[in-house]
Amino acid sequence: MDVGLNHYLVLAAAVFLVGMVGFVIRRNTLVMLMCVELMLSSANLVFAAFSRELGDVAGHVFVLMNFAVAAAEVAIGLAILVQIFRLRHTVDADELTTLME
Amino acid sequence: MEAFLFYFCGAVMLLGAIGVVIARSAVMGACSLILSFLGSAGLFAALSAPFLAVLQVLVYAGAIMVLFLFVIMMLEGPVMETETSRPKLWTTLMALVPAVIILAAVAIWLPAGRLPGFTSSVPEDFGQPMPVAAKLLGDYVFAFEIISVVMLVAMVGALALARSKRNQPWT
Repeated sequence: MDVGLNHYLVLAAAVFLVGMVGFVIRRNTLVMLMCVELMLSSANLVFAAFSRELGDVAGHVFVLMNFAVAAAEVAIGLAILVQIFRLRHTVDADELTTLME
Repeated sequence: MEAFLFYFCGAVMLLGAIGVVIARSAVMGACSLILSFLGSAGLFAALSAPFLAVLQVLVYAGAIMVLFLFVIMMLEGPVMETETSRPKLWTTLMALVPAVIILAAVAIWLPAGRLPGFTSSVPEDFGQPMPVAAKLLGDYVFAFEIISVVMLVAMVGALALARSKRNQPWT
């Protein structure tokens, strides 16, 4: 059986859901950032799959944009994380509740 | 061949993703994430996007993961420990219930007839660097310029956030 668009969409949905569940249930901020990366990566897969289906290379351009956004997000996120760790000596999301009080 | 590539790389990507979530330590999570990105690169290759496959390995599995592992190394002590608090029940439900609903909806919607192959064939040079670059620097040149500003802001922002002596002037 040939592999088509829907195969890739189902796989991307599964990876996105894994990332989403991980983001909610893990309390380590570093692992939460990794889960965001997973979700972005599944979006890339959808872009590439539709690009292949429609025969239009524009989807690849969007994936390149997504690479840049992901890199920027990781750089800023990790810088914030390092700074939080310097101030609070923890990266556990359950203990970083200053804004909730 | 394409079917084999899809199922193999798809399994690698999905198992890597699950590994990130269930890993006990951050380093194991990062290694699983690298695995997931490599599977994703294989899928790009299967989707006749060789340029993206190469960039996925270079940028994601290379640069971004080095950044992650570097920060894990810097924060070694507390981060490496497993999380002390277990996830609360309602938090877990909040994540799992939508996930199960969506997966069930997909499983109901997806009888075998809805899985045809790709409807169109693509030209020989589809996804090679040349056509992608022509598109990127042609139709999307404005987005390309904007994204370079985003990268610049991210770079300056990361430097400003991560400097250690906040009260001293820039050197």
